[in-house]
Amino acid sequence: MSDALPLPLQLIWLVPLYGFSGMLLSLPWATGWIKRNGPRPAAYLNLLVTLLAVLHGSLAISEVVTLGPQHLDFPWFQAADLNLRIGFDLSLTNLAALELVTTMSLVCQVFALGYLDKEWSLARFYALVGFFEGAMSGVVLSSNLFMSYFLLEMLTLSTYLLVGFWYAQPLVVTAARDAFLTKRVGDVLLLMGVVAVSAWAGSMEFADLYAWAAQAREQNLITPLAGTLLGLGLIAGPMGKCAQFPMHLWLDEAMEGPNPASILRNSVVVTCGAIVLMKLMPVVALSPVATDVLLVVGSISAIGGGLVAIAQVDLKRAFSYSTTSYLGLVFIAIALQQPGLALLLLFAHGLARALQFMSVGSVIATTNCQDLTELGGIGTRMPATATAFLVGSAGVVGVLPLGGFWCYGLLVENLRQLAPLFAAIFLITNLLAAANVARVFRSVFLGPALPKTKRTPEANWLMALPMVSLTVIVLLLPAIMQRIDPVPGIGAFSLPVAAAVVGSGLVGVLLGSLTPLDAFWSRSRQPVVRVVQDLLAYDFYTPEIYRRTIVNLVASVARLTRWFDIQVIKGGVDGIGRLSMASANSLKLTVSGQLQSYLLTVLVAVVLCITALQAVRGAI
Amino acid sequence: MLLSSLLLIPFLGCLALLVWPGSPTPGRLRQITIVMLVAQLILSLVTAAQFDPMAPGLQLQEHHSWVPGIGLDYALGVDGLSLPLVLINGALTLVSAVITRDISKRPRLYFAMLLLISGAVNGAFLADNLLLFFLFYELELIPLWLLISVWGGVNRAYAATKFLIFTAVSGMLILGAFLGLALLTGTVDFSLTPVLSERLAMGGQLWLLGAILIGFGIKIPLVPLHNWLPDAHTQASTPVSVLLAGVLLKLGTYGLLRFGLQLFPEAWARLAPALAIWAAVSVLYGSLAAIAQTDMKRMVAYSSVGHMGYVLLAAAANTPVSLLGAVFQMVSHGLISALLFLLVGIVYRKTGTRDLEVLRGLLNPERGLPLTGSLMIVAVMASAGLPGMAGFISEFLVFRGSITAFPLATLLSMVGSGLTAVYFLLLVNRAFFGRLAITPPSGDATSDARLDVQLNSVAPRETIPALALAASIVFIGLVPSSLGNLSEVASTALANLTAGVG
Repeated sequence: MSDALPLPLQLIWLVPLYGFSGMLLSLPWATGWIKRNGPRPAAYLNLLVTLLAVLHGSLAISEVVTLGPQHLDFPWFQAADLNLRIGFDLSLTNLAALELVTTMSLVCQVFALGYLDKEWSLARFYALVGFFEGAMSGVVLSSNLFMSYFLLEMLTLSTYLLVGFWYAQPLVVTAARDAFLTKRVGDVLLLMGVVAVSAWAGSMEFADLYAWAAQAREQNLITPLAGTLLGLGLIAGPMGKCAQFPMHLWLDEAMEGPNPASILRNSVVVTCGAIVLMKLMPVVALSPVATDVLLVVGSISAIGGGLVAIAQVDLKRAFSYSTTSYLGLVFIAIALQQPGLALLLLFAHGLARALQFMSVGSVIATTNCQDLTELGGIGTRMPATATAFLVGSAGVVGVLPLGGFWCYGLLVENLRQLAPLFAAIFLITNLLAAANVARVFRSVFLGPALPKTKRTPEANWLMALPMVSLTVIVLLLPAIMQRIDPVPGIGAFSLPVAAAVVGSGLVGVLLGSLTPLDAFWSRSRQPVVRVVQDLLAYDFYTPEIYRRTIVNLVASVARLTRWFDIQVIKGGVDGIGRLSMASANSLKLTVSGQLQSYLLTVLVAVVLCITALQAVRGAI
Repeated sequence: MLLSSLLLIPFLGCLALLVWPGSPTPGRLRQITIVMLVAQLILSLVTAAQFDPMAPGLQLQEHHSWVPGIGLDYALGVDGLSLPLVLINGALTLVSAVITRDISKRPRLYFAMLLLISGAVNGAFLADNLLLFFLFYELELIPLWLLISVWGGVNRAYAATKFLIFTAVSGMLILGAFLGLALLTGTVDFSLTPVLSERLAMGGQLWLLGAILIGFGIKIPLVPLHNWLPDAHTQASTPVSVLLAGVLLKLGTYGLLRFGLQLFPEAWARLAPALAIWAAVSVLYGSLAAIAQTDMKRMVAYSSVGHMGYVLLAAAANTPVSLLGAVFQMVSHGLISALLFLLVGIVYRKTGTRDLEVLRGLLNPERGLPLTGSLMIVAVMASAGLPGMAGFISEFLVFRGSITAFPLATLLSMVGSGLTAVYFLLLVNRAFFGRLAITPPSGDATSDARLDVQLNSVAPRETIPALALAASIVFIGLVPSSLGNLSEVASTALANLTAGVG
């Protein structure tokens, strides 16, 4: 089948393997077998294989442009009616996503060389990033649900290990645990969906699933309840991956991990989750309830995430909540059957968010501080970082004609008639995001220098190089979008819409610029303001709610089971043991030495046995 | 002759150790044992090579009359169901011999018992006669009882007695069922192949199957018959735990498939819905009980209770995919729990405790146990069913094969799979993450805590068995067809056998 295909396409299965091989190549240094020359060689090897992945991807793109989309698959495991395959869908969209993943991975790895300069477990970091990259490249290319699930779970594992990178710190320990368990809840629900749909549809290729979904809709193959449960199961996985309400908590805590991994997590990992959701959408659409849930979850995440972001005093958390908020918008777009626009938004958001996180990383690396109230006045001394921050933020929000603006324009235009409510949500989110970046920019880059920011030289070149390159790319993004745009023209929206987008953004910027920012009085004295502020700062008290409900429930049931196990089962067994010992002891005393009593006992026992046997045979 | 040699080698080895002249050192005895077990493993691999995975039914059969009057024949045979189990028996007995290092008390008896168990287990898996199976099933009981009661922990007498009583009851029920089969059918043919039960009324079948279920349910173990297992594991030494979890529990699930499902297909189909619920209860109970444990070894023991429940679920669903999943689950649980016990054993040896409230930060790269910790992460992830490792494909096959037959029980079991992640993550988080410290359970953490811990480093030879197990777990996870090809024909045949009846 694939004989006629050019080599870069035939060998596309190598692309995920580049990442995984990077992990294997790093192992000698990560495990300490090679100590003499430090951990750097592992980093260089990883950079090399990632570069190979990028080049391979671009060759594949040029082939697909001429040949059109291709499909490749290989058998993996077959048993009875179950056929599990490794499949790759080489469409332009998937390959573009692949390029996004590999390029971001490359850029982050260069950045990490600078950021983790003196980290002695550098090799372990690179091993994990290689694993991360391999899993993500597989997810975006995958043509079947099984492989997507397989790799999504690997992403869960590598997120756990990357968040837990500095595992000796107490906050990291809980963060890694929460990241894993939250995602795992999503994954188990997704697995339920995967197993069910695999049994019903027979195949797990996305193309076959779409055909099955269409058939199921026409012929009512499954009950509405089954459809709803299936839909809910399938969206749970992406919800966990994309840090959507109510599974958003982990992304915030994950900010305890090293910054280069946060860059990847906030830009491409969430993108992978959303792409899987996009691929699943035709099946999810079987259930109107699941679609409604997507819309509700997306809206809550968009607005709630935007609000919570504004109340954060941690530099990284301020933006991780913003990521949740943007992915909420993507969920809305997907649920409203706008996959092209959702992809565009993901693409624009991914690049700009990565740039934002790079500048944040540069600030943190220089000041060793990520508390907004202790930062200030860096702008003039770190011009490249400040520029990167501004460009990244402008790329996310819709004010200047960068990526975010065009996405907002197109989405609002499309939703204006279809679902005006959601168009409004887009504008409100834009407002909140703009207010957030404006306030963060003021407190980090403007104002007087504070004790921790008095000596802040610009980041070293290993951080600056990727940051500046990405700044240029984000600036050029509208042109790139124009070329890869899946819908006709990125400017296909009316002037009022453009005005609304810019207007909402400007209002946000104004709000963010005019709010009094005082490090000392960052927590208000007015009780009402204070309550609202705390509510947002503590993420609507979600961690507390979790602790009181689900965590508490599982813990109590576990304790109850343990109690039951000890008291009832073990107690019962021990009781029988004691009873037989006690009865034996008392029987010991009844020994009379009289033959007739022994004979009587034997006789009674024999009669009882025979009667019982007859009763049993009679019953049979 | 090939299959007989799988029994002869360990039995002769056992005998040789017992009569070996002079007073050989424990090290020498260990070497002899390892040589014997390597030979056994090689022969198992030869068996696997000679085995034709495409042919249905028992292969490489051997048949000699032994005591024809009572229907006891010396009949051996191997199929896709027993072959993987023979292989992991060979591998895991070797592992437990290799990891036995500091045996000072009665080393001769210890290694002889190890070989005896291995041979008896091989015999039970290969037996093609109900009575022969029962002989081997009971034969394995005595050495294991000795291994726990002589070389066990402080509370070993209690645990060993409990183990003995439970397993003896299990044996009695099984023997009762076998004899009952003969009694009710009126023949003394105990060979496995004919489906004798077809001649029986449903009532009789249900009685016999009930006895078989409870008998093997004790061995597997299923809730609420599991009470002997956590105690036996906690008191047994590491190599014995590896054997117990990795190999001996599989006798129960193997018996369930071979003598429950295969002998009584009609009654099985009748009971299947109840069995599925029983499986789900077992899975959830085992997982929840594991969450509340603070002893690492007890936690792993309860996880076994949960994970063996998947096998019952798969057997209840009785589809080709689910039965293949059952074989996968037996093998992968064998490997994974062996690895877990092995690693817990290393932690115990280095720190002197297994208490999760005492241990902290063992992953520390300089003063802790970094490689052990990394392997522990691999093991718990495999147990939690992360893809790329054996646990995932097994669970996936079980769930995929069972969901259409018993949706509710399958979904509940999947919740159990999610709970596995909870308790094992808690284990890793508590004991391996954080700052290295060994704190006493009560008292002031700041003053009493031993923060200046310097653990002895783990020698490479101590981790080689663990590395080998981890590698095989990943191998099965990435190339499942290696195992699937061996067992697919057998599991499909087993499912078809009952499909025709039901």
